[in-house]
Amino acid sequence: MSAAGANGGRVERLFWGVGSAVVVIYALLPVAWIVSLSLKRSADLGDNRFLPRVVSLEHYATVFRDPQFSAALWNSIGIAAISTLAAVLLGAFTAYAVVRLEFPGRRLILAGALAIAMFPPISIVGPLFNTWRTLGLYDTWAGLILPYMTFTLPLAIWTLAAFFREVPWDLDKAARVDGATAFQAFVHVIAPLAAPGVFSAAILVFMFAWNDFLFAASLTSTDQARTVPAAIAFFTGSSRFEQPTGSVAAASVLVTVPVIIVVLLFQRRIVAGLTAGAVKG
Amino acid sequence: MSDIELRNLSKRFDGTTAVKHASFSIHDGEFFILVGPSGCGKSTLLNMIVGLEDASEGEIRVDGERVNDLDPKDRNMAMVFQSYAIYPHMTVRENMAFPLKLARLPKQEIDSRVAKAAGILELGDLLDRKPGALSGGQRQRVAMGRAIVREPRVFLLDEPLSNLDAKLRVQMRTEIARLQRRLGTTTVYVTHDQTEAMTLGDRVAVLRRGEVLQIGTPRQLYEQPENLFVAGFIGSPAMNFLPARFNAGRLELPVGSLELARDLRAAVAASEGPLVAGFRPDHLRAVGDRAQADLCFAARADVVEWLGADVFAYFDVTLEGFEAVALPEDLDIEAGRQGRSSLVARIDPAAGLKEGDTLDLGVDAAQVQVFEAGSGRNLSLSGRLDQA
Repeated sequence: MSAAGANGGRVERLFWGVGSAVVVIYALLPVAWIVSLSLKRSADLGDNRFLPRVVSLEHYATVFRDPQFSAALWNSIGIAAISTLAAVLLGAFTAYAVVRLEFPGRRLILAGALAIAMFPPISIVGPLFNTWRTLGLYDTWAGLILPYMTFTLPLAIWTLAAFFREVPWDLDKAARVDGATAFQAFVHVIAPLAAPGVFSAAILVFMFAWNDFLFAASLTSTDQARTVPAAIAFFTGSSRFEQPTGSVAAASVLVTVPVIIVVLLFQRRIVAGLTAGAVKG
Repeated sequence: MSDIELRNLSKRFDGTTAVKHASFSIHDGEFFILVGPSGCGKSTLLNMIVGLEDASEGEIRVDGERVNDLDPKDRNMAMVFQSYAIYPHMTVRENMAFPLKLARLPKQEIDSRVAKAAGILELGDLLDRKPGALSGGQRQRVAMGRAIVREPRVFLLDEPLSNLDAKLRVQMRTEIARLQRRLGTTTVYVTHDQTEAMTLGDRVAVLRRGEVLQIGTPRQLYEQPENLFVAGFIGSPAMNFLPARFNAGRLELPVGSLELARDLRAAVAASEGPLVAGFRPDHLRAVGDRAQADLCFAARADVVEWLGADVFAYFDVTLEGFEAVALPEDLDIEAGRQGRSSLVARIDPAAGLKEGDTLDLGVDAAQVQVFEAGSGRNLSLSGRLDQA
């Protein structure tokens, strides 16, 4: 009985171990390949080896020497940060109102938000291109921030609403009686308790804005607002006969690193927030 | 320190009326209780006083000043919630300091007030803990502490003890009473537990279905309930109720009849519909011989509850020729079924009563209250009032 149990446990552990390994390798192999490519010398790019023969940083140097890339990096950081901040702030207020206030159209807001999130972005790129050109938003930061917020606000609202629902309403009332304005109660009591939700929402929004290629490629034309994913597509080789493979790989690694750092930084807080869960006083 | 005056205060939620035309005053420094079964509107009334709910109609005045339109933060009232509602992300110290920080008091003042409140509530050692690391009783104290640091005009407590176990509840009850006497702050306390209401209150308001049925001292409510509901709600064990009818100056009960006082006779004669006779378990007593009480009858003890100082004995009586009393459902008292009814008596433990013993019981006419079954009106009281 106990032997069978131990045996079953071992088989189960093996199953999960192998399963996890397969998934991790499957997911990380392309990343590893890109990292490897970015570290090869230009001459070695086509050598069909997984590990670079000689580690070289020449592609990184090239990428940073290219004024296009540093402009794109700055655009990416700025646009993603502003989109995140604005979407989370607006999302927080909306989610709070939806959860805590009784007003007509409450369900409509949630349903509408969900519908927008389901909308295929490609279908609005065309109209948006024309509209933005008329409005003068083409090739500007705002021209990208607006669609990013449109597509990420629903996510932020739904995530935050779920977290706000977990906060006991009595705490809000207690704060109001303790002398807080509705805004102070939100800032001092509700928002800190929903912090894990705020971080989850922020990560989702940031990733969307940071990774987006479709809007960035369609709604920008110069270094004015072009973000890194779009800029990479416009990389050229040092001569017309050379593929810019190395530079593309180096730039890809450079844009992936911040996302990984962000996730690793906030993941802890998210997990801690979810497991603590002891909101009820 | 403030007095509160409610004038014709009503609250309607779509379709239902939670509070109907409440008009009464709570005096300065008074410990005032709102008691009633769940859904009677007591919490809604409290929320209107503190400003968490808007009044649909009527006025709330504190020290003569109308506060209806004031935001809760501007009413300077402190509230203790049933769930305690202490902020889980703040330490005990931060919890208690929170209202003072909002009031922008200087740091020294905040520290000294928190230290003082912590001293009163014996929270000194817990100040740097988070609520998650506190027991239920300690959380309750923190909630009290956060209320008293503000030195508010009014304390409002919404069922503060109902999440505690029985022993702690009794202990905290005494502490709250002591604290209120010490601070002398006007206090409004909501509970569904009539024992809490009776032990704590200077005055008690009994609410039912949004209506204030009676306001009085615990003693008034116990001795002179104005209606059947208050009579049944106040007192533990509950008052005994038997169906009754009036016949030739005498009140006939399933267990016998008794002569009514003259003024009560007039009130009973003028009443409508079936009657209910009520008497407290304390007034139903064992008698040696039949001359010792106005109404005597023999009954068999079904259940005997021995509590040390008291013995409560439950007797089964038949309702021959009488319809069982229809008591208000929310009283949760078994009025009798299948032609039988149960009576409770408080018996001297020295008598050594055992289950199954038959005993001669007696009750005096002066202790029997007569109610109109339909309206629930206490006729004995109107008789006495007429006399006065």
